[in-house]
Amino acid sequence: MSILINRYTRVLIQGATGSQARFDIKYCLEYGTKIVAGVTPGRGGEHVEGVPIFNTVDAAVRATGANASAIYVPARAVGEAIDEALDSGIGMLLSLAENVPRHDAARTVARVRRAGAHLVGFNTNGLISPGQCKMGGIGGDRTDAIYASGRIGVCSRSGGMSAEISYTLKQAGLGVSTAVSMGGDPIVGLRLVEVLRMFEADPETDASVIYAEPGGTHEAEVAEAVRSGQLRKPIVAIVVGVFQERYPRGASFGHVAAMIQSDADSASAKRQLLEQSGIKVATLLDEIPDLITRALS
Amino acid sequence: MRLLEDKSKALLRQVGLPVPRGELARSADEASRLAQALAGPDERVAIKALVAAGRRGKSGAVAVCKSAEAAEVAARILSLTLDHKQVEQLYIEEAIDIADEYYLAFAFGDLGPRVVVSLRGGVDIEAVAHESPKALVNHDIDPVEGLRNWQAAALWDQAGAPSDQIPGLSALTVRLYAAFRDNDSQMLEINPLVRTTQGDWAVVGTMMEVDDNALFRHPAWQAQADETAGPGGRPLTLGERQVEEANKRYAGGATRYIELDGEIGLLVSGGGASLYQHDLILHYGGRPANHTDFSPTPTPDKQVATLEAILDRPQVRGLLVGCNFLQLARCDIMMQALEIVLERRSVDTRKFPIVVRLFGPYEPEARAIAARFPGINYLPPGASLAQACEAIVNAVRQRDGPSSSSREHKT
Repeated sequence: MSILINRYTRVLIQGATGSQARFDIKYCLEYGTKIVAGVTPGRGGEHVEGVPIFNTVDAAVRATGANASAIYVPARAVGEAIDEALDSGIGMLLSLAENVPRHDAARTVARVRRAGAHLVGFNTNGLISPGQCKMGGIGGDRTDAIYASGRIGVCSRSGGMSAEISYTLKQAGLGVSTAVSMGGDPIVGLRLVEVLRMFEADPETDASVIYAEPGGTHEAEVAEAVRSGQLRKPIVAIVVGVFQERYPRGASFGHVAAMIQSDADSASAKRQLLEQSGIKVATLLDEIPDLITRALS
Repeated sequence: MRLLEDKSKALLRQVGLPVPRGELARSADEASRLAQALAGPDERVAIKALVAAGRRGKSGAVAVCKSAEAAEVAARILSLTLDHKQVEQLYIEEAIDIADEYYLAFAFGDLGPRVVVSLRGGVDIEAVAHESPKALVNHDIDPVEGLRNWQAAALWDQAGAPSDQIPGLSALTVRLYAAFRDNDSQMLEINPLVRTTQGDWAVVGTMMEVDDNALFRHPAWQAQADETAGPGGRPLTLGERQVEEANKRYAGGATRYIELDGEIGLLVSGGGASLYQHDLILHYGGRPANHTDFSPTPTPDKQVATLEAILDRPQVRGLLVGCNFLQLARCDIMMQALEIVLERRSVDTRKFPIVVRLFGPYEPEARAIAARFPGINYLPPGASLAQACEAIVNAVRQRDGPSSSSREHKT
């Protein structure tokens, strides 16, 4: 099993005729993702890599039974695109563009929650349930070299670090149930603690690896959920960005969200918080497989 | 982007909010003329340095004086330097007779918009938050429903506002939230929000930061973007400005480039991997000359500009091109950028250490480019980010000898 997407997921691509979408559609189809439709208003009737393009999400859903959407429209149009998908009853959304205007992001996430849907992103490279389905650019042209199928959940703000973690696991003979790149914008849909609750409930996930960086309150929520016993499966974290504490507050180095605004936001503070809750914390990626193996034995 | 006081007040005035009259002045003479138009010679005006820096009051950059004395006071404030910048503009405003000073702010948490109110306005709010956190009342705002009148009333009630002031305060709060939202602001702080001795309301101190990502909805803001500030408010360096220019000129995601004082140039990508590699360079005993985080681009132009900025600095003694497994971008475009810059600058790659960790689409093409430059260490498939960081730190150390880092430290 897996979380969020699996072999039965029927994927729709909004903004399917743009160059990044075309690039990703090719690799997703090669991987085996069931991409059943694309939507670009005004381009209905065309095809991208053999995938039929529709003018509206509604038409695409009625014709193909799509139940998940990967949204490739530019940041300024993301709010509208997600509203359109929700209106057609799509329950799983992936939003790739970065720098979505903050007010749009907040309103959109609130609407998604009200609809009971799941949004991964903004500013994500996607998610993958290895061997079953991937959405977004995750894995690129060498998905199998990076993501092996297995029983470890991966969740990270950074798409690149999702890959590095999964690759490190694979080299140690471990595999991934689902890897979720949550997105690097300050406001995102699914929160880290929500993804971990899904892993907790998934009978085919034994443990999780998370990537943490300065900024935001995701890790504090995770630490609290572990302390209160909501999360019982082992979690290993890698915390990066310690160097940022050498520079002035308010400076943002990686993701815009990776900004130290208060002492609780720093990598060292997060490391301490996670360790105190019982989560094992790695400094180097190479330490992760060992920590996982020991936690599971 | 932080708007200066004249601009933020103009936006609030436009929607009918009670903002004191005021105008921008560029000289002491102009300040004096404006002051006399606002108030009689014995009446008071406020003269403020028009700068993005906070806490101007503490730096002596805000003064209230008789309008007859405006020229003298303006000349003094124009002689100040705040946050590395000479004061060049003033804001001349009618003085307000203050009865009560309150605090109101809108900002974002990572869940959505929030509002903070307090009766302790007109002072440093961080100090208030530290000494008596209960004096601040926080509330999440539902971004779909917006802020409703009764919710605002409840906040001021909880903060302890006198009953007869609550209707006025809550109406003002709702209108200011609408201004915050409609102007795509990330932050709007009113400190102080004033009740005058005549019983009117006045929005006296404003700090407004608008969302750069929403500039497309507000073309008028573009003109006044202050793009000269680096981390911690320091001015941008020449190289940082060059990269900013390239960001505007060429397509694709923005490159973040921040100059630091170490010796290892970093052309690294990935919001997470760039942080990880920076940690690792320090871990292995090196010091980054810069931080970068670049996004995939359809052409090499932005990476060329970034590499030029990195290699322009004489302190740079080695270069790491390090990326996580590329999943969206082409490796060869990155190596084309390196090729262009190495050739243009006639860099001897046998003497200048370069480590490349670049795996993904078009990797064979990228390796073919690297092979044309003897000495470039393009790591074999599967090498870790940690190995790449260790390799460049060691290569620079071997080339320079152990004394290099201490020598560098003095510059």
